[in-house]
Amino acid sequence: MLASDSGIPAAATPRRSVGSTVFDLLVEYNFIVIFFVVVAVATSLSGNFLTWGNIANLFQQATVVGIAAVGMTFVILTANIDLSVGSMTALSGMVAALMMSKGVDPFLAVLMTLVVTTGFGALMGGISAFAKVPSFIVTLAGLVSFRGLTYLISEGTPISGLPKGFGAFGSTLVPVAPGYELPLMGVIFVAICIVAGLVLRYTVFGEYVYATGGNAEAARLSGLPTRLVVVAVFAASGLMAGIGGLLLTSRLRIGQPTAAQGLELDAIAAVVLGGTSLFGGRGGVLGTFFAVMLLQVLRNIFNLLGLGSFYQMTVTGVIIIAAILLNRLIDYRMGRD
Amino acid sequence: MTASVVQLADRKVQVTGASAAGAAVDVLTVRHVAKRFPPNILALEDASLSVRPGEVHCLLGANGAGKSTLLKIMAGAMRPSDGELLLEGRPLKLHSPSEGTAAGISMIYQELDLVPQLTVEQNLFLGHAPTRLGLVDRRTRREKAREALRRIGATFPPETRVERLSVANQQLTAIARSLTTDAKVIIMDEPSAALNEHELKNVFSVIRDLVRQGVSILYVSHRLNEIQEIGDRVTVLRGGRTIDTFDVAGTPEATLVEAVIGQNRSLVERAARRPVTGDVALRVHEMTGPEGLDIRDFELRWGEVIGLSGLNGSGRTTFLKALFGDVPFSGHVELEGRPLKPKSPAEAIRLGLGLVPENRKTEGLILDAPIYRNATLPFLRRSRTVSHRRLKETAEPVLRSLSTKYKSSERAVRELSGGNQQKVVLARWIIDRSRVLLLDEPSRGLDVGAKADLYALVRKLADEGAAVIVASSELEELYAACDAIWVFHEGRNVERFDPSIDNRDTILKASILGGRA
Repeated sequence: MLASDSGIPAAATPRRSVGSTVFDLLVEYNFIVIFFVVVAVATSLSGNFLTWGNIANLFQQATVVGIAAVGMTFVILTANIDLSVGSMTALSGMVAALMMSKGVDPFLAVLMTLVVTTGFGALMGGISAFAKVPSFIVTLAGLVSFRGLTYLISEGTPISGLPKGFGAFGSTLVPVAPGYELPLMGVIFVAICIVAGLVLRYTVFGEYVYATGGNAEAARLSGLPTRLVVVAVFAASGLMAGIGGLLLTSRLRIGQPTAAQGLELDAIAAVVLGGTSLFGGRGGVLGTFFAVMLLQVLRNIFNLLGLGSFYQMTVTGVIIIAAILLNRLIDYRMGRD
Repeated sequence: MTASVVQLADRKVQVTGASAAGAAVDVLTVRHVAKRFPPNILALEDASLSVRPGEVHCLLGANGAGKSTLLKIMAGAMRPSDGELLLEGRPLKLHSPSEGTAAGISMIYQELDLVPQLTVEQNLFLGHAPTRLGLVDRRTRREKAREALRRIGATFPPETRVERLSVANQQLTAIARSLTTDAKVIIMDEPSAALNEHELKNVFSVIRDLVRQGVSILYVSHRLNEIQEIGDRVTVLRGGRTIDTFDVAGTPEATLVEAVIGQNRSLVERAARRPVTGDVALRVHEMTGPEGLDIRDFELRWGEVIGLSGLNGSGRTTFLKALFGDVPFSGHVELEGRPLKPKSPAEAIRLGLGLVPENRKTEGLILDAPIYRNATLPFLRRSRTVSHRRLKETAEPVLRSLSTKYKSSERAVRELSGGNQQKVVLARWIIDRSRVLLLDEPSRGLDVGAKADLYALVRKLADEGAAVIVASSELEELYAACDAIWVFHEGRNVERFDPSIDNRDTILKASILGGRA
């Protein structure tokens, strides 16, 4: 602040050393460091942790939350929130299951399901952006209504009798290297992360997402279609929840009306843990990916150690708070108080 | 409130008694205070000043001189890394703003920290409401509020909600709040920024009144003429250090200016220039809109800089926002002979208009985003994919041509000084090749040097063919920089002046009176 005013020319500032650049990178990507620390701890606690079978398992389990968290990243980057993703995931699975059990071609059923969830997402985004209703309220209504709708169309019971091919999708393994296979679900999750990361970094839409979240008024006065951006991120979140729901149904081989309860909170936790600011404009998919995997590793290690879910929940909460405090500290040190 | 009046009266007696004895203790003394922020920003290096009882002490300094930091330290909102504060000769350690208030130091921030949804009386006693049996004693509060408002000559009742008050009356409310805490020193951070000249006169008379009652005022401002009008002494801060304290009365303006900017640099001067010969760019036959906006026969040529003067609320901002498609209007406006009626800022931008909004921080910039991204926001619409290298290559030459000072265009725009931030906003429209520039209070919060830079830039853009409208409440600047000045009054453009012919005082009078006297 001071330097720019007292007229010190840019050239006079000393070159930053390699060491401090590395340090800055470590600070910026601290969630990756934390992730590998936790992985190291997990490895030392249980010999079963670092086996390929367990890793494949991690990806399989992380996928549904992970994909929803990618959509949530877009929403939170615009300083909004989507509480409906859990219900939307369940609705997606149920709509697809119902259509397929009635004999609709699986391909068509998948396509129509995604159109429905994307449309509902866009609708919520539209209400929030154009009627100026906080997205918290709109998507809270979505959380309740979509769950209700799921029960309504299924009459509260699981739907089975899905085509074999559809069920196989969720359990297919893909060879990623000779002798190593990952579940197709995990591969889809990783692919979605990569695409989302590229969209945020290399498209104008991605720039608009950051700008809208950073300062919506400044973005609007720069001619950005900020309301359409909000509609688009909610549509993306709906699409992601839709894909997650389809994969979940494929893995379970039934449409389950009670599926994915509380998923929205896991997704939000992962996004925030991954360093995306709830105030918008800062963060990204890379952090979300590592945070999703981190939470999954925690769950996994508790299972391997034979500790119950009560421990998991307690420790997960503590880890989230610790990570957020670390990020606040970094913000403070970088003068973003 | 009666009680505190008596107290104040007592204090005044003490004070006069003490000074008669020749041993008046300074109310607030700052000794060699420094403030470092991690990692290694030195916001304040060595600041000292001393406020005497019953004086208006001014604090003058350019942007980034460390004024805000010093104020926060005095108010207890920040702790100094070095140095000390003395209150009436005794060392004072403040850990929070409420301790500062309790000690008798009251701070009025530029963005008044009032709660708009609450009433005036609730705001006056926020945090120290009179209570009885643990409940708010509403009657006492009402009485005390009335008393405080009476002392500052306010005409609004204590039960008014603050959001319904004008900015000037909100300012008065903030001053009244200082009175309810029995403040010994009231620190006012640029109270004039949002006030017009008439409202400011009002605030000044309140200040004079308070000083007579024994309260000391620390008055922070950029504007020399204000300091000359209201100040007893002035301390100049530059680059985080106290340069000197002067008696306002005996110090020539040039000395103060030199102290502020560190070298001899003239204030904005009007240079002779050729008459504008470009074709008409923008013609407003008639335009009516919200808040009584009613503009007629307004003409802007290519290469011309037109200034909009007038009191606050005279419709300058509304006019600019209407042209920019942000406020709906009816009427007939032409851009290069074709009808102009943008329905959104996006449409106006496509037609070649660019707005530098009034509030840089809330409307202009994405503070945490990198400089180059801020500068290329409108430019992005021309493509679908982003190459960050290309964006930087686009932004940096323009930023350099505006002599913007930055370390790296990847740094957050928040780290820049006000003047450099404003250049980033301006660069945005140059990069977008806007041809009609609408600048709303572009110099707000800039120091003398940055202002001169800014207007030189505006002039250069106009000479290169742009058509520019500048709205400002500082007539001095418009007078020096514009080819013509329109005076706005209550939403109408009442009178057009030519600064090369018309006298500055004539224009000033017209802005206050709403027409040529």
